[in-house]
Amino acid sequence: MSKPEQTQANPTIPATTANAPDGTQAGKALADTSAAAQLAPATATADAVAPSAAPEQPAPTPSTTQDSPHEGALSSMQGVIELADQLSSFADQLHERIMADIRDHSTGRFPEHTQDVLRALLDDEMLLRQRANSLYADAAAFVIRGLGRPQGQLVGLTRDAAKKIRRIGLIGDATGLVGGLLSLAGAAMAGQPAGVVLALDKIRLHNDALQVLSPTPPTAAA
Amino acid sequence: MLRRIAYWMLLVVTSLLAGCASQGPVSLQEVREFADASARLGGYAELSRRYRDTFEREQPYLAPAAERLARENDARRRAVHDDFVAIQKTLVLYMQTLSLLAGDARYDLSERIDDLGNGLKANADSGLQQRHIAAYTGMSRLLTRVIASGYQNRSVETMVRDGDPDVQVLLEAMISLTRLYYKTNENEKKTVLGIFDVEIPFSNRNSDRMLVTLAKVHYLNKSTEYKLIDRRYELALQGLTKVALGHQKMRENMNRLTSEDVRRMLRTYGRDVRIIRENLSGD
Repeated sequence: MSKPEQTQANPTIPATTANAPDGTQAGKALADTSAAAQLAPATATADAVAPSAAPEQPAPTPSTTQDSPHEGALSSMQGVIELADQLSSFADQLHERIMADIRDHSTGRFPEHTQDVLRALLDDEMLLRQRANSLYADAAAFVIRGLGRPQGQLVGLTRDAAKKIRRIGLIGDATGLVGGLLSLAGAAMAGQPAGVVLALDKIRLHNDALQVLSPTPPTAAA
Repeated sequence: MLRRIAYWMLLVVTSLLAGCASQGPVSLQEVREFADASARLGGYAELSRRYRDTFEREQPYLAPAAERLARENDARRRAVHDDFVAIQKTLVLYMQTLSLLAGDARYDLSERIDDLGNGLKANADSGLQQRHIAAYTGMSRLLTRVIASGYQNRSVETMVRDGDPDVQVLLEAMISLTRLYYKTNENEKKTVLGIFDVEIPFSNRNSDRMLVTLAKVHYLNKSTEYKLIDRRYELALQGLTKVALGHQKMRENMNRLTSEDVRRMLRTYGRDVRIIRENLSGD
């Protein structure tokens, strides 16, 4: 994709020639990027461009980069995210570099080979963005690891609460406590002692039921 | 007869009062409103879908090498989408249930008790005296309120107290994921817009004019679209953070949920979440 002769022909972007023809540098360059954060933008851009020089190479996934000395930093999700942020930032810097180059052409005319070089750099930028997004996807998968337990617990709690809601309906139910009070009033008005006793039993029953259903430890029912 | 009834009822009330921790006037309205607003927050599910569909949007702008990588990323994003959504579904169900549990629709019986009292008045000639009716109504109202509110209160307390650690873990995960969605979207945006930054200056022949015009219009549309989307990530993050904080505060103040300052605080959280939701659905 990158064309060494044309890259060399463009004096404004000398940095790209450093790694571009040498495909074997690609994986190493990406591994180096996490250390390159402190480098000056121009140097950082040069390193960042390198991976695209050998697009046929397998993508350096975090598992392969973990062999590098940065294993400690990558072992955590935060490390993966930081690396991805750096790749994104290199892509931004590369884009700025391309745009600065375009602005510098005071004539507004771009020879074919200059256009090809700038397009190749844009392709490199897009590759960097894809690699960054790939690391973000890794980090996202990491986020949900181990969430099965809290999810299960919350579902259990929700199910318990739903049961309580169904049972608590007893209070307002026509056959529930209010129903009992209504029968009590009715029986009292009609002067029926048997009805009164029955209604009072009903109220007591619901009271017992509520004690059993109590969310506090089962000692409340005793 | 009536005296005996009154005596019986006094016994029932006393035994019920003994069984329940005595509470002030109980209102779980703020809990209900907060849980309700949290369940309806929105944003996360939509942004999860957007994250899953990243490749569809960026594909036309990708060169072959980048497209190969993008396809791999697409497969990885699709593989975990259901898990991302499941987190939110669990939380929504939790909040909906909490809202129901704290709801007064089922348990506020005072209106029905009032009806009962009115019914008795209508039949006053059956021998019941007005003061008996008043006593009966008052006692039965007290009875039902003590039972219903005490039980309800303790149920809500149990749910919030036992649920909070897991709620916090899941919300934290949703916040982390939303941040990653945002970062991924940033790269998508710059991929989509970047090609025009470079190609428009290259197209400066007279015969390119129409192409350049169309490209500029497309660029304008796309950059507007991404600006609106950026705002949604921001709102979704704000909303999730508010929900996490509100639930934490609710747990911390569980035993003084009836105090005015706690209720006011919870009301504010509920209102904030509702405003964020309105902004999310308004765009």
